[in-house]
Parts: sequence; structure tokens; C-alpha cells
Amino acid sequence: MNDYPIVVEDLVKYYEGRCILDGVSLRVPRGCIYGLLGRNGSGKTTIIRILLGLEPPTRGRTIVLGQDSARLSAPTHGRIGYVAEGHHLIQSYRVRRLIGLCRGLSLHWNEEFFGRLMETFRLPLDRKVKDLSTGMRAQLNLALAMAIDPELLILDDPTLGLDTIARRQFLELAIDVIQRQGRTILFSSHILGDVERIADRIGVLVAGKLVVDCTLEELKSRIKKLRVIFPDQAPEDLYVTEIVNQQKQGREMVLTVANWNRQKQAILETFHPESCTEVPMTLEDIFIECTRPASAAVPQESEV
Amino acid sequence: MLSLIAREIRDNIVSVALPCLVSALGITLAIIFALSRVRGGVFPPTILFTPVLLLALCGLGASQAYGDRANRISSLLATLGVTRNRIFAARVLAGLLTVLVSLVPLAVTTILLLWMFAPPLEFYGRMVVAISLTVLLVAVACYCAGLLVGWTTSKAWLVAGSVLSLMALVSLVVIKGFGPGAMAILLLFIGATLWYAWHTFTSASL
Repeated sequence: MNDYPIVVEDLVKYYEGRCILDGVSLRVPRGCIYGLLGRNGSGKTTIIRILLGLEPPTRGRTIVLGQDSARLSAPTHGRIGYVAEGHHLIQSYRVRRLIGLCRGLSLHWNEEFFGRLMETFRLPLDRKVKDLSTGMRAQLNLALAMAIDPELLILDDPTLGLDTIARRQFLELAIDVIQRQGRTILFSSHILGDVERIADRIGVLVAGKLVVDCTLEELKSRIKKLRVIFPDQAPEDLYVTEIVNQQKQGREMVLTVANWNRQKQAILETFHPESCTEVPMTLEDIFIECTRPASAAVPQESEV
Repeated sequence: MLSLIAREIRDNIVSVALPCLVSALGITLAIIFALSRVRGGVFPPTILFTPVLLLALCGLGASQAYGDRANRISSLLATLGVTRNRIFAARVLAGLLTVLVSLVPLAVTTILLLWMFAPPLEFYGRMVVAISLTVLLVAVACYCAGLLVGWTTSKAWLVAGSVLSLMALVSLVVIKGFGPGAMAILLLFIGATLWYAWHTFTSASL
């Protein structure tokens, strides 16, 4: 048993001369729901595709369930459920035929669970995949991924195109999977509310770099947004390290700082601010602060 | 493996059926020509239908590879309990099966008709074996060339590549003649194209 079903080591990917991933390293512990966040084009899908061996890395390596992604064996593949962004199912197939193909090629197939999912989703078996709506395709893809009782479930923006009820069903299913002992989920999403609801560890990619990799609680406690009012004009530089974002207007300064501590507070107090109040932040606020073009990487606690 | 081969055949049913139909038509005409004692006997239909058959086999390889890329079939299969090597092996086996099913009956019919109707000359037997083996290798080579040129997203390159490959292979036989020399070159060509097609498929982004 591996303690880390997913290990990414110094992963670099260039595509047509453009750097997509720039030295990403991360580890996903067993039983964890890892939410991978990032703006469009930040490299989320590329990491997932490299993990599954669909894309070769330029440098570095990824290990999935103890095996190098570039040489994943059929039994290991059979333990991974995957829902692709855009749900790339074979469009010309009828739903029944696609299910038959996946059932025939899967090493393990939980017919009872799959039947339950199909009953919930009510998918038309005789319709061609290309004639299904985006939401139906997402449901079919999810049902196929879940039917193999995956030890590791990789979901690339799985709720894209789903309505509110289907999204809620999906989240409940994901929780259902995690409740089976030892299951791990890696998922990327743009819907931060979903991530906040189910993820217990967060990774934020900005322009191919992993700027955040910690638990949700840790992230919320480490990033502080402060509104500081100075008696006169706000200073140009506060000499505080790890400022993620800083906006200045007259006497007021709003700054987002990583790893806020007494030392940093003492430095700030040397400027004799009139007031310093903390602004509450949701995951969405943190995400926006971290992914702004000017924002710096959020260092790990050990680096402080 | 069997379900992968069955999927290959079913997904490319038109491309698989076409060489078989061409072969069946060639066999029928060869029998009619032989029975009606037309000048030249079985040779005119065989000579006429073989290039069409080769083009159809090239088309089969191209259709398998192009269809896979265009519909992102392997992208789905590779995420199930299947490796890329097995997907590729199933594809090639399905192709080779079609080559054999379409070509062997045509060759056997030709040999039988020659044995029944041609003058009992000793060199006929050796000639027919050499021709049959060379044509079989050209057919496999055409299929492999199709497999290679089909791994593209450009339809123009697909058609041009298939026709050029066929012309090059037929020219080789015209220059070298039917026999061990041409067969050795064809075997090398088949090995190289299969290796390159395998390497492209297993290292490409799906």
C-alpha cells in the first residue's frame, strides 16, 4: 500500500516552446480529496493527463499508485477512474455499446453500483453519445469512472455543464467514494464552492507553478487580508515579506500576506497605523488573490 | 484482446469489408474467365483487382489510425484497464486478419484455376508461389503504410500519403520483379513502418 497514491516530482512541460508546467512537485496522501485549482491554461489538465500517461512530460516524473505514469500497467490503470474535461467519450457509439466496451475492458466492474447510478441519472441507452446533452455526457462519464470501484478517482472539471441538482448528486457520489476506506480523489474545478465543500487539501496553480499546496484550514489560517489605515500617506514599502497582494489608496492600504505572524505584525506597527483590521476571506477570495498576475508564490510554512 | 480486435473490426467495418468485397469480386470474375476460356484465363481479373485490393488495404490502415485520432478512441481506451501496446497490437492483428481473409482466398483460387486450366508447365507452380508471397507482402506493406500515414489530422496528407505509398511499393515490385529480392525489401519496409507506427502511437499525446 502506498501512502501517497499520487507523487509529482519537479514536473516540467513545454508545449510548442511554451512552458505549461514549471517544476511542479506535490504529493497526495491516501484517502485525501485534493482540489487542484487554477485559472484557464494554468496547467491543471496537463498535470492530470501526464499522471494518466496520456501526455509525456518534458522533465520530471509522476508516480501513480506506486508506478511511473509513463509505464502504467493495465492492472494499475484498472484501479484509476477518470472523468475527462469535456467528457471525451466515443461520440459515434450508442450509450449501450459504450457501456459494453468499458465493461468488457475493465478489470473490475461493480454492476450493482453502476445500475444504481444509471437509475439515478436515467440515461437513454439507445441514444448516440454525440446526441446526449453536456450534462448527460458528464453523468455517463462519471458513472463509467465510478463503476470500476476506483482506488484513485481523477476528475478534471467534472461538474462543467452540470445543473445544480446534478452537481449536488456528483458531490454526494464523490463523498460516497471517499467513505469507502482508502479511496483518494484528485479533482480540478472552477467552482470553488464545490472544492470548499469537499476538498481537504488544496493546490493552486498559477502559470504552471504550484503556489499553494496545503490543507484548506491551513490555507485559510495562513493567508490574511488586512485593511490598514495610516495617519498620513500609506508608505511605499512595508518591508514585510511574503506579501501576496497589495493595494494602496491615500491613507488606506489593503494587503494580503502569507504566513502572518507576530514578527510581521511588529514590523507593521513600526509605521504606527491608526487601525489594522482583518478582512474575512472565502476560498474564492484567496484564490483570486493568489492567481492575480502580480501575486507572488505563497511559500510553504517550512520556508518561513 | 479479442474484444479489442472485435472493436477494431466493428469500428472500421466499411474499410474491412471493402477489401473482402474486392477480393470476392476478383475471385468470381477469375472463375468466370477461366470457365469461359477467355484469352489469358485467370490473369486479367487478378491483375486488375490486385491494385484495387492493395489500395483498399492501405485505406484500412489509414482509416484505423485516422479514426482513432479523430474520435480520440485510444484516449478513452488508455484510461481503462488497457495499455497502449495492447491497443496497437489489436489494431495490427485486425488489419492482418483482413489482409489474410481478402488475399488468401484470391491466391488459392488463382492457384487452383491455374492447376485446372493452365498447361502443366513446371515453372508455373514456382511462379505462382513467388507472385502470391510477394503480393501478400505488398498487401501487408500497403496496410502498414496506411497505418503510418493515417496518424495525421490532415485529410489531404492522408490521401496523398496513401497513394504515394502504394505507387512506391508497386514500383518496387515492377523494378525488382516477384521473388526473394523484392520480398526482402518488403519485409524490411514492413518492419520499419510497424516499428515507427508503434513508436508514434505509444509516445504521442492522446
